[in-house]
Amino acid sequence: MIANPTDAKSESLTLDGKEVSFTPGETIYEVATRHRKRIPTLCYDERLEPFGGCRLCAVEVEGSRLPVASCTTKATPGMQIRTSTASVEKHRRTLLEMVASENREIDVDPLRGYASQELSTLLDRYDARTGRFAGAQSGSSRPDDDNPFILRDYDLCISCYRCVRVCAEQEGDHAISVMSRGFHTQITTEFEGLLKHSACTFCGQCVQTCPTGALADRKAMRFAHLSGETKQTRTICPYCGVGCSVDILTKDSTMVGVLPAMDGPANLGALCVKGQFAWDFVQHPDRLATPLVRGADGELQPTDWDTALDRAAEGFRKVVDEHGRHSVYAVASGRAPNEAGYLMQKFVRAGLGTNNVDNCSRA
Amino acid sequence: MTVTAIPTNHQLIEQCRTEPAPLLPLLHAFHERDGHLSEEALREIAGALKIPIAELFGDVTFYHHFAREPQGYGVPRVCTGPVCAHRGGLELLEALRETGARPMPCAGRCDEPVPVLRGGELLVGTAPRSLVTKPSPIPAPNPGGIEECVFAHIREPGRATLQGYRRTGGYEALERVVRSGAPADVLAAIADSKLAGRGGAGFPTGTKWTAVADAPGTPKSIVCNADEGEPGCFKDRALLDHDPHAVIEGMALAAYATGATRGFIYLRYEYPDTFGILAQAIADAEAAALLGDNVLGTDFTFRLYLRRGAGAYICGEEGSLLNSLEGKHPFPRNRPPFPVTHGYENLPTVVNNVETLAAATAIVRRGAEWYRGLGMNGQAGTKVISLSGDIRRPGNYEVPLGLPLETLLHQWAGGPEVGRAIQAVTMAGLSGGFLAGKDLDVTLDEPSIRSKGSFLGAGGIMVFDDRHDMIAVARDAMAFFAHESCGKCFPCRIGTQRITERLAGEAGPTDLSAWIDEVADLGQTMKAMSACGLGLAAPLITESLLKYFPKDVARHVERTGHDARGDR
Repeated sequence: MIANPTDAKSESLTLDGKEVSFTPGETIYEVATRHRKRIPTLCYDERLEPFGGCRLCAVEVEGSRLPVASCTTKATPGMQIRTSTASVEKHRRTLLEMVASENREIDVDPLRGYASQELSTLLDRYDARTGRFAGAQSGSSRPDDDNPFILRDYDLCISCYRCVRVCAEQEGDHAISVMSRGFHTQITTEFEGLLKHSACTFCGQCVQTCPTGALADRKAMRFAHLSGETKQTRTICPYCGVGCSVDILTKDSTMVGVLPAMDGPANLGALCVKGQFAWDFVQHPDRLATPLVRGADGELQPTDWDTALDRAAEGFRKVVDEHGRHSVYAVASGRAPNEAGYLMQKFVRAGLGTNNVDNCSRA
Repeated sequence: MTVTAIPTNHQLIEQCRTEPAPLLPLLHAFHERDGHLSEEALREIAGALKIPIAELFGDVTFYHHFAREPQGYGVPRVCTGPVCAHRGGLELLEALRETGARPMPCAGRCDEPVPVLRGGELLVGTAPRSLVTKPSPIPAPNPGGIEECVFAHIREPGRATLQGYRRTGGYEALERVVRSGAPADVLAAIADSKLAGRGGAGFPTGTKWTAVADAPGTPKSIVCNADEGEPGCFKDRALLDHDPHAVIEGMALAAYATGATRGFIYLRYEYPDTFGILAQAIADAEAAALLGDNVLGTDFTFRLYLRRGAGAYICGEEGSLLNSLEGKHPFPRNRPPFPVTHGYENLPTVVNNVETLAAATAIVRRGAEWYRGLGMNGQAGTKVISLSGDIRRPGNYEVPLGLPLETLLHQWAGGPEVGRAIQAVTMAGLSGGFLAGKDLDVTLDEPSIRSKGSFLGAGGIMVFDDRHDMIAVARDAMAFFAHESCGKCFPCRIGTQRITERLAGEAGPTDLSAWIDEVADLGQTMKAMSACGLGLAAPLITESLLKYFPKDVARHVERTGHDARGDR
């Protein structure tokens, strides 16, 4: 194959004794994970700018007196990198013991959020539940924030600021920020208010990137008490036309939550408030399970589909006969899937002969 | 009767908005006008500068001195730093309690305790009624009679004025250099002098300036780091108060040598008098065409801006300082890239300490060889040491690098009080931890002090005589680092807290070997994994404590165990 002259030239470095190639611009962490090195992280989210806060990803680089954060350090030609020396692994374990010491609890229900098991998983991997470094705990929860979507359980916060960064970098909302400093840092909104009084759009991205469950999905947590295995089913969000991939969480036949699909081609892990939280309708007792038609007494009565469709057709025909085809206007529901939206416009255009069709998500 | 109109929000905003680095001056303007930073003020500022309000709120809470409660600006802040705490600071704070007085970390007046900041005023004294404003102490004449560099002219009357500065050749170096049109000569002189950063890190100044000169991208900047926050350091205050034009000339020379066209002095909040002196010096230099557009009628342009911090030790770290200047959250930046290529606004930037810039002026005037020759025992040049604590003549001393510490302590500064012995001294302010016992035989230069596991750094040395409980001294030192830890990196944020708790006896093992294990593990991980100098250096406190005072540590842990078990 002829190389494209605009392709970045590939360079090489030594990774744990093996020569590997990399593309200029890649970080050490990116090169290493590409080569299946399991470098621990807590402040890393591949969608965000590398931050360099947790320091767990530090690796040894020949010629550097101290370990360097692999997430923020660019690979350079000839670099000699050691990703898991005894010394670095010891520091990682100590760091994890330190992190564990600042939280009220470590094991949280996976329904709290997509990344909520990251800390507990790492603590187990490094056998770091030793109880060393006991002392004051950091972060103050906000039980007063009674919004229906996001639990702000900051007692479990480890100050990785992934929530703040995803809100700013991915969402552009800048609804939350870091207040005070040192051990007393606290995630806050403007003037320490409630999320509903801030620029928050309740997209839930902060929840899904939180590695400890300090931010949790309140909608899903309603089902934490249900026993049984949680199953994931990949589908597309039924709302607007973007087509975000989601994983629907179910226990038996009960829908218990929605996770954004990090590999969804349209959303790469992003969702909005509707896709993330507005799925109560699925199991709502008011949801219609059978067609209804109005009887002679004016009340709605359950019926079969043939009867219902005949009645609807009759009504449309009557209106078109009396007032012409442009007297009909149709709005497709944003809660219906794309396919249903397509059928709706086909029915209106081809069936009724008018272009009076819209979708409520257009606004 | 004159009526001074109170400026409107709009007027305050318009004064700052078009200048570079507008956030800090704007916050200070509202803070001073209103007596605090109200929600309304922050919303105005956020709107004007297009900063998200949540971020601005978070940023403001980062700084120690920005008051959010009404009248908070004028509430006295009393220094309770390592020296002042033992010189009446704690008693003064108590005596001023009913005024709402609050403690503040070392405010850089260790040679004349105790400083009290009240609004825009800095007062000094040890009792509420004896608090006075007065100029900061001028360094005493060199006790060793040794030739100086940055203090050579500082004691001349009127030196702080433009006229006084020019009396002995001030700005002649700048004039000669800009007229000669040879920036490379300046770079060569600085490199040849072996001048290294005097703020603590010791990076070769010539290498830094050359890197900025060579780096692509304009406009380039010169930033003077005058955020002298290290406890026990007050040398930059002396230079800026009594010889401000030497620093300004150094910045202009750096600008000319590197092609920079703008400069910033980032001054710590706790030096309000210095702010006034610098503002005047800059105005005078501009009026004399030594700064601004077309310096001395040439096509060299250098605009200098004075900016003031608001109480955050970490802003002395260059990445934090640059973020603070840019109006961002003052976390340190990831390195690389370094400021020489990605500094202020991600453009090439020299960040130099005050003393470095003052020395550069002298070097360009008098030559690299002269400067190199000022050192002793093969060391090049001089270093200002801020000496304070239990010593008879505290103050700033410019020493030849390589001078024995004992000479400074005993011959120059008079030694401890009669009947007392020096128990320990700190190095690099607090960042170098303690030296004690036989290790006091070091010479004042990095190779010698580093061989003892410490470092000279910014040159602050605090003396503790045999009256002190070294555990308490170490606890207060670590509490300072915990208070100032920015919260970005895990090892420092958690480590400084955990070590403080252990030194305070509030948490941790009651078994001595487990206690030592925990403290040593915390320290080693902080020293290896922290993101900036704060977390890397803080463990030197406990490392040196364990090295020199193991019996005190054992007693402390035993006492903690007794308390935990409820023994008497």
